[in-house]
Amino acid sequence: MSGLARYFEEADLSTVVIGFVREHMQAYKPPRAMWLNFPMGRPLGKPNNPDYQKKVIRAAFELFDRSTGPVLEDFPDVIPVRDGRMGYAIPPEYVVSRNDVGDVDALLAEVQAEIAQLRPAYDAAVTARGRTTVGASDLDVNLLAPHIAEFVKGGKPKSPRKGLSPIPGLKLVIEDLQAFYSEARTHRDDIDDFELLGEWFWMETKAGLLIMWLEAVALHTEDKILRQVVDMSLVTPRFWSVGPLPGSSASGW
Amino acid sequence: MVMIPDMPDVGRGFIQDLSIPPISETHWTLPVPSSERRVAIVSSAAVSRRGDKPFSWLARDCRVLNKNDRDLIMTHVAVEYDRVAWQLDLNSIIPLDRLEEMASDGEIGSVAEDHYTFMGAADPVDMEKSARETAERMKQDNVNTVFLIPV
Repeated sequence: MSGLARYFEEADLSTVVIGFVREHMQAYKPPRAMWLNFPMGRPLGKPNNPDYQKKVIRAAFELFDRSTGPVLEDFPDVIPVRDGRMGYAIPPEYVVSRNDVGDVDALLAEVQAEIAQLRPAYDAAVTARGRTTVGASDLDVNLLAPHIAEFVKGGKPKSPRKGLSPIPGLKLVIEDLQAFYSEARTHRDDIDDFELLGEWFWMETKAGLLIMWLEAVALHTEDKILRQVVDMSLVTPRFWSVGPLPGSSASGW
Repeated sequence: MVMIPDMPDVGRGFIQDLSIPPISETHWTLPVPSSERRVAIVSSAAVSRRGDKPFSWLARDCRVLNKNDRDLIMTHVAVEYDRVAWQLDLNSIIPLDRLEEMASDGEIGSVAEDHYTFMGAADPVDMEKSARETAERMKQDNVNTVFLIPV
C-alpha cells in the first residue's frame, strides 16, 4: 500500500496509508502513514467494534492536519500476537507423511458428516451477518471436500470456475471449505480468535486433515504448480512457522 | 512490538527480502479541509464482488466495489493472515459503514461511490498503470482523499 500512495498523490489526491510492516513504510516514504502493531488481516483492529474502528480511522486522518511530511506515526494500541507471528501457523512438527495417507473415501465421509453437523450453525451465521465469504470457488459446499479428495487420490479435476486452471481453482475450493468451518464456528461459539480457530481447524477437524493429506501428496507430485503451491505455503498456513515444511524448500519464496 | 527481526524464520525471510525501489522524494498533495473530504478506500485484500473475475496470484489489476456492495468474496493468494476478522465484519478490512457514519456526522464530507481493491502480493511497481487509471476514475467521482488499507 505504501508503494501505491505515490501514484495517487501524483494525481493530486491526498493519501493516508495504514500498515503492518514499519520498515517497509519507512522505506517507501508515503506522505502520511500510520503503523499498526496488530496481527495481519485486521487493519481496523476489532471486528464488530465501530468505536474502535473509528478510533483507527480518526488517528490516520489526523495526519492530514500535518503541514509537512513524510510523516510516519505509530498507532498507540497494541493487539498482541504470539511469538512474533502475524497470523496462525501450523506447528512445524505437525507434518503428515505420504505413508500416513489412508483411505481417502473414508476420510471424505467423515468430512461430509462434519459439514452436515456444522450446517445449521453456518446457516445461522449467514442469516445473522447478512453475508457469507464462502463462494470464491463457485462450488456448492457439499462438493468442496470431494473436489479436494480427488486431488489427494492423484486426480486433477477441472477448476469449478470458468477460466481458472485447476490448481488456482483448488486453492479457492480449500479456502471456501475453511471459510465455511470458520463462519460456522465463530457464530456458534461467539468467538473471534484466529489462533484458536486455526488450532481447531488444522489440528482437530477432519477437513483440516484432508488438506494435510493433500499437502503430503503434493510434496511428491510431479505437477509443478501444485508443488510450488505447497513450497510457498499457499495450501496450509506455514508462513509464520519457525521453519519450512520438511521436504519442501520454501524456495517459492 | 513486531518488527521484521521479531518475525519467525519463513515469513521474516520473505518480508525482509522484498525488493523496494529507492524513493528519492515524497510527492505531497495538500489535503482539503475535513468537511470537504470525499474519501475512497484502496485495499490490498483482493476482495471482489461475487461473480467478478478472481484475482490472479500476482495480479496487476484491480477490482471496483460500489459503496453499497456487501456480497463480496476474497481471492488473495496468501493464506498467512487472519481471515476471521473479515468473515465477521467487512469493516475490519474495508470500513465502508464507518466512513458513511463519519460522513453523516460531518467528520468527513462524503464517501466515494466506488472503492478499489488490489492483490497485495503483487509488486506495487507492476500496479502503476492500474493505479494511475484508478486515480483518474476517482477524480471523475470528485474524490480528493484516498485511504490505503492493507490486509
